[in-house]
Amino acid sequence: MSTGTATLADYQRRTFTNRLGLWLFIASDAFVFIGLFAARFYLYGANFRPELSQEVGLVVTAVLGISSYFAYRGEVAMRFGDTKAYFRSTLITIVLGILFLIGVVGVEWQIAPFGPDHDALWSLFYTMTGFHAFHVLTGVIFLGIVYRNARKGLYDAERHWPVEAAAIYWHFIDVVWFFFYPALYLIGVPPL
Amino acid sequence: MLILLVALTIGEYFIGKYAPYWWAPLLAVALLKAFFVVRDFMHIGRVFAGEEEEVH
Repeated sequence: MSTGTATLADYQRRTFTNRLGLWLFIASDAFVFIGLFAARFYLYGANFRPELSQEVGLVVTAVLGISSYFAYRGEVAMRFGDTKAYFRSTLITIVLGILFLIGVVGVEWQIAPFGPDHDALWSLFYTMTGFHAFHVLTGVIFLGIVYRNARKGLYDAERHWPVEAAAIYWHFIDVVWFFFYPALYLIGVPPL
Repeated sequence: MLILLVALTIGEYFIGKYAPYWWAPLLAVALLKAFFVVRDFMHIGRVFAGEEEEVH
């Protein structure tokens, strides 16, 4: 009994350290996104933006926001030992993440009037959305691996750090899009 | 929380549609959404909770 308690205490100590490490990674990764965000305003200010479908932008933003909510629900469900709800919420998160990717890469990139070699603004648009989409893809893979491990029964209400880590990473991707969405779709008008 | 995020997103969509030069309110909305997600979904408070509080 005492061994079991000590093991749980060790796990929680490791979780604290892991959490700190994840947040350090997120902070360092955020600087790349901040650089891209700053470059967009440095080059084009608040007067111009790429000519994009605002409807597609709104839909993909809503899809990613809702996916973040389900990632949260999944993590909370696991914390309370409700693995059934965790599986359901995580599957919805993964599906919504894939839908976001389809919306950006499969729809927005295809209907965009210019390619990345047109000018600096379009080059930046593809860099920003591409770099973000790559994070979404890695997030989907991360969620998928954790989901598979959860299916094997590797996590429970007290030991589920990977579930929390995947959810935090997913929310980070969502937060980045909170800033990319107005920067690319809403602020300014397309140049003539 | 979800309703709040949806309402803010719809709000910024309409600001962008009808007042695209209002960059300050649009960035303020983005900051507000990020604040709520970082605080409530990402539980940033746990990072500062300390190791002792983590171990029950």
